[in-house]
Amino acid sequence: MIRFERVTKRYADGTLAVDDLSLECADGEITVLVGTSGCGKTTSLRMINRLVDPTSGTIRVAGKDVTKSDPAELRRTMGYVIQQGGLFPHRTVIDNIAPVPRLLGASRAKARGRAYEMLTLVGLSEPMGKRYPYQLSGGQQQRVGVARALAADPPVLLMDEPFSAVDPVVRSELQQELQRLQAQLHKTIVFVTHDVDEAVKLGDKIAVMQVGGHLVQFDTPERILARPENAFVESFVGTDRGIRWLSFFAAKGLRLHVPATVETTTSAEDARRIAREAGTGWLLALDADRHPLGWLEVATLNGGASIELAGLRSLGHTFKPDDDSLRAALDATVLSPAGVAVAVDDRGVVVGVADHEEVTRAIRAASGRA
Amino acid sequence: MKPGGLTFHFHKVSDWAWLTGHIGYFWQLSRTHLYIALVSVAIGLLLALLVGCLAARIPTTHPPILAVTTVLYAWPSLAAFAFLLSITGPSDTTVIIPLSAYAFALLVRSVTEGINNVPDDVRIAATAMGYRSMRRLLTIELPAAVPVIIAGLRVATVSSISLATVASLIGVSTLGQLFVAGENTDFLTEIIAGVVIVAMWALVFDGLLLLSGRMLTPWARRVS
Repeated sequence: MIRFERVTKRYADGTLAVDDLSLECADGEITVLVGTSGCGKTTSLRMINRLVDPTSGTIRVAGKDVTKSDPAELRRTMGYVIQQGGLFPHRTVIDNIAPVPRLLGASRAKARGRAYEMLTLVGLSEPMGKRYPYQLSGGQQQRVGVARALAADPPVLLMDEPFSAVDPVVRSELQQELQRLQAQLHKTIVFVTHDVDEAVKLGDKIAVMQVGGHLVQFDTPERILARPENAFVESFVGTDRGIRWLSFFAAKGLRLHVPATVETTTSAEDARRIAREAGTGWLLALDADRHPLGWLEVATLNGGASIELAGLRSLGHTFKPDDDSLRAALDATVLSPAGVAVAVDDRGVVVGVADHEEVTRAIRAASGRA
Repeated sequence: MKPGGLTFHFHKVSDWAWLTGHIGYFWQLSRTHLYIALVSVAIGLLLALLVGCLAARIPTTHPPILAVTTVLYAWPSLAAFAFLLSITGPSDTTVIIPLSAYAFALLVRSVTEGINNVPDDVRIAATAMGYRSMRRLLTIELPAAVPVIIAGLRVATVSSISLATVASLIGVSTLGQLFVAGENTDFLTEIIAGVVIVAMWALVFDGLLLLSGRMLTPWARRVS
């Protein structure tokens, strides 16, 4: 456990970076420090591994005051990941991952062996180990940064905006990767970000900080979104916090309907008959393996034209009832031209659909429980 | 040197037979010349690495070190030779000392600049991983500074090879001897031979450094 006990950091020029911070980061959990720039979140993080020392107060890791430890030795027990990667430009990927085990006394061969394990762990291939940092994409560099931080298997991982410099698609991949790793490794992670979505997605607990180094609210993501402590937190988490909150409710609770479906080989005649019998203007088009292709609007079928000629409308996107949240299901209904979200299993096969009414019912039921 | 400066009578502008007959002599002069020039660069580099690292480790020493090296570089070489002649006589040492000082003055800037150019996030990452400052300097910052140091080394080597000609004025037989003798006997071919040979060696060593730099730093991003 990492404990901040009334920690204050005032710089020589009088700037108050962190103001009387008391906080507990539980073992095996991700604690996210979130706030606008200048709120003291990075300074707080850096006081844990003594890149910065507090003006007053105590930080304890596993009960021990960090200022009583030798800084270099302390740091070798904590992985550190930063935004720009900070990879050593003159070393190969493997030799970028190996240093901490080396500093802890492992032989070169052993450290490299460990580095290759880490490379695989973060989803990079072995040949990648021989490349130099300049030959990697931003996302790959961050993966190497994570591998490097994990190489000596430290109990604590400190992450300072690690995914802020990559594009949104890569960021989302890296976030999922971190969740996957954490489920496996159970590290005590302190994660700094300015991105509320990232905080909500990754945090077991979130500490919202305000300029001047005040801790405003320290709570679970659900409670921060549902019950912001004050106007600052409310405005910081944004106007769509209600929608974000839905990401904590599983889509599993939805009662799925069986949709009226057609295949691309179905004739226009048959399609009209299926729609009439089902009492709907929209038919879900499937391929031979029951993967969804798109929506067919029956009104656009003129005369004997085939389904292909009428053209299909995009699905928007599908959702997986077992993995996704009500937020994803709601999003899928909003984007669907038929107003109906399509649920699929892991193989992408249609398992049912949910319309606006059903999603609304599920939201009411879920929020009633909360 | 003759009073009245350099005046040539082009009675033997090109004399190929003379050139081919003196290859052994050119080689002998080249050996002394390169020995003096390269030993000077080596001494200069060694000192520059020591002092440059000091400047990087203790930032307050940086400005005074740069001030001293600027003065060193501005010092006229002939004055330095004249002064040292009275102590060390007309020996290799008399030439090597000022040439080393020039190389040092150039290279100390390359070393400090190279180390200072290492990105901050690299430095912070190394510190946060548990590197102590000396190990960080020697295994991270200095190796990462190699491209800048090599660039400085190329300039220092070329200028040292060029400056070593001056040694002939105090009686140390470098390739500058060809200028002195050629001028004394109004023999243009000999002077031109001197210029060409010095330039050739400068190009050879510049090329060697360029290649060894590429081999030492396969990690540097190339502007192809």
